[in-house]
Amino acid sequence: MKKWIPAAAGLVTGLMAATVFFADFSPGPTGEAAKDTANKSNAEKVYVPFGEKDDYYLFASGGHSGQMFIYGVPSMRHIRTVPVFSPDSATGYGFDTHSKEMMGGYTWGDLHHPAFSETDGDYDGKYMFATDVGNSRAAAMNLETFTVRDIINVPNTSGPHCAAFVTQNTEYMFLPTRFAVPIGSEYADLDDYSTKYRGVMSAVTFDQNKEKLNIAYQVALPPWSYDLSDAGKKMSADWAVMTTYNTEEATTNLEINASQADRDFIVLFNWKELEKMVADGQYDDVTGQKMIFPEKHKGGIYLVPVAKSPHGVDVTPDGTRFIASGKLAPAMTVFSFEKAFAAIEAQDFSGERNGIPIINYDSIVEREVNPENALGPLHTQFDDKGMAYTTMFITSEIVKWDPNTGETLDRVPVQYSPGHSVAAEGDTVAPDGKYLVALNKIAKDSYLSVGPSHPESMQLIDISGKMEVIQSAPVNPEPHYAQMIKADKIKTITVYPKDEKNPNATYEQDKTKIVRNGNKVDVYGIAMRSKFIFDSKAKRPDTIEVNEGDHVTIHLTNIDFDQDITHGFAINGYDLNIEVQPGQVNTVEFVADKAGTFPLYCTNFCSALHQEMTGYFLVKPKK
Amino acid sequence: MKKLSLTSSILILLAAGLIISSLFFPWWKMNFIAPQYPEGLNIIVYPDHLEGEIDIVNGLNHYIGMSEFSEENFPELNYLNYLIGGLAALTVLTAILRKKSVLYGLIGLFVIGGSVGVWDLHRWLKNFGTKLDPMAPIKVDPFIPPILGENTLANFVTHSMLQTGTYLVIAAFILLLIPLWKDRKR
Repeated sequence: MKKWIPAAAGLVTGLMAATVFFADFSPGPTGEAAKDTANKSNAEKVYVPFGEKDDYYLFASGGHSGQMFIYGVPSMRHIRTVPVFSPDSATGYGFDTHSKEMMGGYTWGDLHHPAFSETDGDYDGKYMFATDVGNSRAAAMNLETFTVRDIINVPNTSGPHCAAFVTQNTEYMFLPTRFAVPIGSEYADLDDYSTKYRGVMSAVTFDQNKEKLNIAYQVALPPWSYDLSDAGKKMSADWAVMTTYNTEEATTNLEINASQADRDFIVLFNWKELEKMVADGQYDDVTGQKMIFPEKHKGGIYLVPVAKSPHGVDVTPDGTRFIASGKLAPAMTVFSFEKAFAAIEAQDFSGERNGIPIINYDSIVEREVNPENALGPLHTQFDDKGMAYTTMFITSEIVKWDPNTGETLDRVPVQYSPGHSVAAEGDTVAPDGKYLVALNKIAKDSYLSVGPSHPESMQLIDISGKMEVIQSAPVNPEPHYAQMIKADKIKTITVYPKDEKNPNATYEQDKTKIVRNGNKVDVYGIAMRSKFIFDSKAKRPDTIEVNEGDHVTIHLTNIDFDQDITHGFAINGYDLNIEVQPGQVNTVEFVADKAGTFPLYCTNFCSALHQEMTGYFLVKPKK
Repeated sequence: MKKLSLTSSILILLAAGLIISSLFFPWWKMNFIAPQYPEGLNIIVYPDHLEGEIDIVNGLNHYIGMSEFSEENFPELNYLNYLIGGLAALTVLTAILRKKSVLYGLIGLFVIGGSVGVWDLHRWLKNFGTKLDPMAPIKVDPFIPPILGENTLANFVTHSMLQTGTYLVIAAFILLLIPLWKDRKR
């Protein structure tokens, strides 16, 4: 036997033993980042085991999906997608009568900036508001059911990007516009832009009892683009601020032409004063709206010069300052409300633009803050100590700084190009100072590739100490802004309560019926595990038979008053699908314009015999 | 034969009070637990009505062809509280009359009433568990859920148990027995 064999065998055995005893065969990522001990302890910060729930709800705007995405924080798990401005077959939204009517014939929307209803400047967890830049609408979502209850079309406006922001007791939600159009969106030559076009802002109210949105009045602001806004708090509660760009009034190639002036403006207005002007009749009746023309109906509106093309403007939690984020100017400008009020009182104006007084910049600015090499400041959130967190789009980072001194406190890189960020209750009078989520526009190589089209990316940052990114989560296109609310502020229901007064409701099997009146057929049916009953006395209770051309209305009640037992209702080939949540009564209306035999079935898996939950929709052909 | 002592009379009155108060409490309940119902479903029986997640239990029971639990299906619920009220009245009468023979009669009535109650409940449980609709989608062997204790059926574990109302009446019954011992010399 060769001498080296025992030695080699010994070495191999030793290696094998070492592998068996010390190698890590556990599942999970195996890269260098995963081995980092700091990352391991970050993993513990975001892991929410089964049986526990997240601390916060994150409501992320879904951008041009027209939807709202609900996430849990800190797990960053996607919990639900709530359709708002776009139809959604998963929930039957846009198919049933109420939501179809709310859609108003539109099939998409561009949901930008969500805003919670507030009481005393703090989220009250009752409603969520959102605006549609795509088709100029506003929506109100009930947070007991996470369903949209009303959508309003906003006339004279095209693209309420600069919204929604609500006043501190939800008196108003203001919808300033991104695009200027002539009143009534009528035709007007672009050469007449400065005279005929307007950037109309709407003051929208919401009646919580009737769950109805309404336009209280509108303001025909100059034909500029209104970008972002915030309502005042506490001492500034009656006021609101919004940023503008394209005060150049360019009508083409805005990238260049709207970036020429060194200064654009922040519009500062007193909504209490505007409210009073409207009450006093100081408005014109235009297209059925009460329209304030600032050059004619003077008062309540002022301009504040600001470094060019600003994006966000955010009011500090104590309500004493507003901070503009430069976008094209690499600086945040801190203004004092107190000084602004004094300047207005003293008429300390440096001129006028489109009939609106311009407040003397030097009189009210506190400081310009310019963290070293931080480029593209877009939007600012706050923590419990009033410290500011600004997203830097171009340098891909979050900068924490002190509004009192302008001192840079901390910086953290994010991947990549954050637009907005959202801190836990970070735009209220009382931010929580726990988490901040960077809403990154570019995900690039962050996740498993799904081809050239990428998801967006949300990164969770622990802001309780030194800022640290502790989790990344892909998200569908595309969160522009979000709201983060303490979970216990939201009180959902699990089952719709019985409403014996609802004429469309049928709570008992033997009360189901099909009523025919000429060519109108009304079905009062029920869904239950695991059957449909449309007429309990019929030979086949789960069949609906109509004549071609009949106008069919199906009222369906889910009589399973049991958590998470949702039923769906679809008719093959008829392009419709609705949802009935536990205890809910829902209605779908259509014309039976296709003769033939069409199976109907439950689309939302409900029980062991869900597959059997079917029936037939028979349409007799015209003779 | 001397009358029952005043203390005994008071004890019997107390028993009457307990019986009356039992009308406002549940007497019996069955709790259902399944993997997807870890929080449990309940059928809670009061002398005059049912409580709990009856509709959900019925919805699930129809899969095995069990008839529906409902207040209409239990005629007892229409008169049970009168029977109990009557028993309370007789108890008050016994306290006033303070006669041992009447007390014996009352105790006898209690025993009979209790036995009939147990028999009736058993009869219902047997009906529900054995008269299953032969057309039901899921076939199970006939079964009789116990009046007390645990039973397993498919994915459900049931626990049947007495409730406050029954305990109050048992306490009342004990209060009725005490005078027999206390006044045994009389």
